[in-house]
Amino acid sequence: MRLLFKLLALWLLLATGAAQATTVSITSALSVDGGAGRFPAAGAVPQEVSLPDDWALTRPGHEGSVWYRVRFNAPSGAADNELLFVYIERACSNLEVRLNGRLIFSGGRMTEPMSNHCYRPMLIALPSALVSSQVNLLDIEVRGYALGHVASRARAGGLSALQIGPQSELMEAYARRNFWNIITVQVTGIGLLALGGFLLVLSWMNRKETFLLHFGLLIVGSALLSMRVWWSDPPLSGRNVEFATVMVWAVMVTLAVNFLLSHARTASKKVSGALLLQCAIVAASLLFTSPERLFMVAATWFAVMALEVSATVVWYLKKIHQARSEDFWPMALTFAGMGSLLLLELGLQSGYVAPLAIHPWSVFSPLLLLVIGSRLLLLFGRALQAAEINRAQLEARVAEASAEIERNFAQLSALRVEQSTDKERKRIAADLHDDLGAKLLTIVHTSDNERISTLAREALEEMRLSVRGLTGKPMQLADALADWRAEAVARLGQANIEADWKLPADDLVQTLSARAFVQTTRILRESLSNIIKHSGASQCKVRVTTGAEIFSLVVQDNGKGISLELGGKLDRGHGIASMKHRAKQLQGQCLIESAPGYGTVIRLTIPL
Amino acid sequence: MADIPMEWRLQMTQNILLLEDLPEIRAWMKALVTRVFPKCRIHEAALVQDALGLSASTKFDLALLDLGLPDGSGVEVVEALRDQQPEVQSVVVTIHDDDDHLFPALQAGAFGYLLKDQPRELIADQLRRMSAGEPPLSPSIARRVISHFAAQAVRKPSATGKAAPVVLTERETEVLVRVSKGYTLPEIGEQLHLSRHTIADYVKHIYRKLNVTSRAEAAVEAHRRGLVRN
Repeated sequence: MRLLFKLLALWLLLATGAAQATTVSITSALSVDGGAGRFPAAGAVPQEVSLPDDWALTRPGHEGSVWYRVRFNAPSGAADNELLFVYIERACSNLEVRLNGRLIFSGGRMTEPMSNHCYRPMLIALPSALVSSQVNLLDIEVRGYALGHVASRARAGGLSALQIGPQSELMEAYARRNFWNIITVQVTGIGLLALGGFLLVLSWMNRKETFLLHFGLLIVGSALLSMRVWWSDPPLSGRNVEFATVMVWAVMVTLAVNFLLSHARTASKKVSGALLLQCAIVAASLLFTSPERLFMVAATWFAVMALEVSATVVWYLKKIHQARSEDFWPMALTFAGMGSLLLLELGLQSGYVAPLAIHPWSVFSPLLLLVIGSRLLLLFGRALQAAEINRAQLEARVAEASAEIERNFAQLSALRVEQSTDKERKRIAADLHDDLGAKLLTIVHTSDNERISTLAREALEEMRLSVRGLTGKPMQLADALADWRAEAVARLGQANIEADWKLPADDLVQTLSARAFVQTTRILRESLSNIIKHSGASQCKVRVTTGAEIFSLVVQDNGKGISLELGGKLDRGHGIASMKHRAKQLQGQCLIESAPGYGTVIRLTIPL
Repeated sequence: MADIPMEWRLQMTQNILLLEDLPEIRAWMKALVTRVFPKCRIHEAALVQDALGLSASTKFDLALLDLGLPDGSGVEVVEALRDQQPEVQSVVVTIHDDDDHLFPALQAGAFGYLLKDQPRELIADQLRRMSAGEPPLSPSIARRVISHFAAQAVRKPSATGKAAPVVLTERETEVLVRVSKGYTLPEIGEQLHLSRHTIADYVKHIYRKLNVTSRAEAAVEAHRRGLVRN
């Protein structure tokens, strides 16, 4: 880094060294106040003045023309065919240049509304035909305003030192000054206009974010102000330009304070009102003050407004430091830059600081505004992105919720169907019990015929089981076994038959459909009835084995067995056919092994 | 009453309420009951209203109550008797063998149940047992009682309020679990080395606790729904 600086310094030294070879620097001139059209030969005594000549110091209160006469010899080192130029760093507001009595350059209108070239460097060609090889006379008429008549010292009348030499040696200094004082301001002005317009459109779409509106207007105002730097021929008189400038400043201060307060979420209508009132007071004070005091009044207002803005900035930084500290440092740094520019400007205006080659406030304050604007845009973009993400998340959540609702609704309607089906089943079951059941029961208990009463009892039992199959839900196999065992042991006990039924030790997890439970219950009852009624057994053994997909019941008695003589068929009168039929309906199997004197074994296998 | 030997009680004059809407069945029941309790006096009712009227005027020892009646359910009579004559044994006589019908009656305070379509001898035998203080308990009823008390335990703090919580003893629970697995009460007596009277007492206690907790639950439920205001 240090090396780079050294190289730069060396290059500058070389460049200036080269320029000194042929370029003539002119730091003094003969000058006469007033006069029009030509250097006054008589009636006025020319005075020797040193350049740069600041009117505020050498002729306070003077307004209008000042003539400067410079004598020079054509620089000796220049090549013969090279055009000579005079480089005027600053001539405020306008100038006309004469060489050996001939007008060679005019900056524009020399009367109101006068052209304004205060910020613009001039590089004026000296036509070769007019340049004498002896002594040449260069007359420069400068028209300008007294300091008291303008709002800014930068626009007070004056003439800088001159340099005469070949273009090649003057061009660099001219270009540099032109770049900083004019081109930079133009470019940032265009940037500010574009950004300001964009922010205004954004603020139109987001009415709630008033800080966007304020800042947009602020930077558009700043762009307008910067126009005075490069717009040489405004259609207004000098006084009107000054008035407009101060008014634009007053409005911009209003906007700046409003922007800071609304961005810190502490916008106040009172403050806005007071600032608008201040604008009116500024206008009135400018209108009613005498022209000579314009600078003083404007400088006072600038100081007041600078204080207002500074105080607001401090308040703003404090607020955002509390609320969103991530905004604090970028803003604080930007405002620090702004503050130092402001101090420098105040120093320049009050005359404590000597004029600089470039006007820092005009050049850098728009740049800092651009920085703030870009940052606002960035934050806005982030907020927009966050809002978009939020919206997407919300949409996803809504979609999720509606899917959930639909799912619930589907479940609910399924449940409702199930419930109403269940209710209907129960109603049918109750009807069956009440009507059919009561009638069958009457037959059971009133019939004299034992056979009919038995049939009716069986029909009743069938009906009950059917109803159970109708209403029933799947049953735990363990519960079914418990029910069967309890019934079997009780019935066998009543008939004085010893029951031997061991329950499986481990917990069963299988379930049994209502249908399978009902059918198996019927088969088991039938086989127990057979044992009790026909077998004459003293003992009955039941064994249960369960698998993952099947379970089997083995019912064995020590009775007399079923005689094969009974028509050669096993099942006559014993309901054996119906037992087998029921097992088959369940895709199961019912095997009966019997021989007279050897008891009977019924093997029932049912799939789960 | 349970202290009196069964043989004596059968010979005692008893007032029996018989609620049954079908005349044939009622006649048959009456014959059956008379055979079991030769000296009893039977008061017949065909409607819930009649039975409620009788229960208010007459002191009963035993009530045989049908569930499905033209003007209501026998459960109403069970409740009325429980409130008015706590000593009476209410026995539900029904054609419904499923616990969906029997359990509410037991919750209301019924002492036991009889299935109408069972052979006469079996009904008579069960009637004798109940009269002797041996209520029946089927596996499916036992399962319902177990889940009732399990739910009660979960809900206990709010449901029973300040009253001492009613819980089953270890033995009662053991009996219930064994019944739910398919063992008969005499078998359980053998397994636990208990007399049939002790087992019968356990079952009676279980039924009583079922009734108490069911009533507390019903009161809390009624209170919750705003039916009871205090």
